Amino acid sequence: MRRALKSMPLLGLHLYVIAFFAFMLLPIVVVVLVGFSSTDYIVFPIEGFSLKWFWRVYEYKPFLQSFVVTFEVAIVSTVLAIILGVPAAIGLARSDHPAASVVMTMLLSPLSMPAIILGFALLFYLSMLGFGVSLLSLIIAHTVVAIPYIVRTVAAVYRSLAPSLEEVALILGASRWQTFRHVTLPLITPGISAGALFAMLLSIDNLPLSYFFGSPGTSTLPVVMLSYLENQFDPAIAAVSTLQLAVAVIILVVIERIYGLRGLSAA
Amino acid sequence: MSTASTASAPAATTAGTTNRSRLRALSAQAWLVAPALIFLFIFFVLPLVDNGQRSFVVGDNHWSLANYNKLFFDRYYLGVLGQTIGLSVVVSAICLVLGYPLAYYLVRYAGRWRSLIIFLLVAPLLTSIIMRTFGWRVIFARRGMLNNFLIETGLIDAPIHFLNGPISVIVGLVHVLVPFMVLSIASVLQGINPRLEESAQILGAGRTRTFLLVTLPLSLDGIGTGTILVFMLTCGSFVTLLLLGGGSIHTLPLLIYQQFNTTRDLSLASAMSNVMLVIALICLYIQLRFIRRKGVKG
Repeated sequence: MRRALKSMPLLGLHLYVIAFFAFMLLPIVVVVLVGFSSTDYIVFPIEGFSLKWFWRVYEYKPFLQSFVVTFEVAIVSTVLAIILGVPAAIGLARSDHPAASVVMTMLLSPLSMPAIILGFALLFYLSMLGFGVSLLSLIIAHTVVAIPYIVRTVAAVYRSLAPSLEEVALILGASRWQTFRHVTLPLITPGISAGALFAMLLSIDNLPLSYFFGSPGTSTLPVVMLSYLENQFDPAIAAVSTLQLAVAVIILVVIERIYGLRGLSAA
Repeated sequence: MSTASTASAPAATTAGTTNRSRLRALSAQAWLVAPALIFLFIFFVLPLVDNGQRSFVVGDNHWSLANYNKLFFDRYYLGVLGQTIGLSVVVSAICLVLGYPLAYYLVRYAGRWRSLIIFLLVAPLLTSIIMRTFGWRVIFARRGMLNNFLIETGLIDAPIHFLNGPISVIVGLVHVLVPFMVLSIASVLQGINPRLEESAQILGAGRTRTFLLVTLPLSLDGIGTGTILVFMLTCGSFVTLLLLGGGSIHTLPLLIYQQFNTTRDLSLASAMSNVMLVIALICLYIQLRFIRRKGVKG
């Protein structure tokens, strides 16, 4: 009896955790199911099963166009962030110089800035510089936000490596570049891929940032989805969301399989 | 090696070379860091400075504090500022209450379910924010799932208006932000030795006393990090407010969006984003200054 009483709070905690994840998954499951609905209006539980809304997504030009723009921006900005961020993370990770932590804070600060401020400020600044509303502007904006993710995960993974690994390579006669290419880079790759995954997923969904650069050739998927929602409320949005989820899962699995994702916890 | 002066000479040279090699290492570091730093200076710092300047320029290029006068003394705008902060406080508090038990479970009881739980917490990142908001619209609709359920179980007689009000906004925001709270707290709880809790219980403290006097104080850093993070993210969020709020709650980001779209008083919008910038900087300062461990953000 006493033991049963003692385990009551734990049982409660178990049930709470289950309820919590039911809450977390509920809206996502609902949307996926609505995407397969056969009715022209949104109803849940759905009244019939069909794939017509996926066909509608395929037929609706702006969706398809924005898919291309979205992934173009996500990939190019992440690559740029890797080129800029990886050396910076390596330069800072083991530095005990007093300026290092200040510089690190500076490199991570875009994370703390609401994207809507950055989008708004960048639009006018880039127009002043003559870039205006263009794919380049969109890529620059997304690179600013992607850099901190790369720096953070790569610095965390690099810090956990023994410095002696690189020293051994240098002593054995490898050049600095060879050491980087054959020793450091393979070891920090899981950190880069974890950071890149986060940067890409957040870029794909960064509506507040992309919104300001919206035009027919530069609208990302969430921007098009928002404007679609303002005019229509039908299951096409659910279908396109489901497709986006499927693509995100594929990216996750591919990156995990090819590069591994150690360092994900650091992100 | 016979006199003191010859003995000190090699020592001085060694000091000289280490200094020089340190300097060389430092300049190598500087070269590695410079490109990212310059990029962010040009495309992150300067745009914000430019935006700050614009907020002080009214009409034909004359400087004035008119925008800030409006934001801080006009009743409507003061209300918007109040609602932005009020909403952020409420959402942070709810995330804390809902997230703490989960973080505790994750660290102390999850066992082999640990990676599944972490995956479930991070998985919503794979979905778009519009997808999640849209899901809540379907659930909260007048003839939606929740109302049907409540009517069928006899809890209510007529559908409740959940949508376009504070309830749906708060639920939507908590749903998006609670994982950040859980991960912040869990990363600090992880570092607390379970023996401290066991010792307290062996010494006669009950579960509640142990929690209140041992576990909770030790996890304050995680609570602080998570709360500031969620507070900041709520302050800056606007998709949820736009799609679930239906104009019932006015916050700064929503107003910036409206100014940009319709009114196009860009100077006022700049001032509003400047106020948000200051809020973000205060949060960042608190986090760096008062919280030793940085949790998930570190």
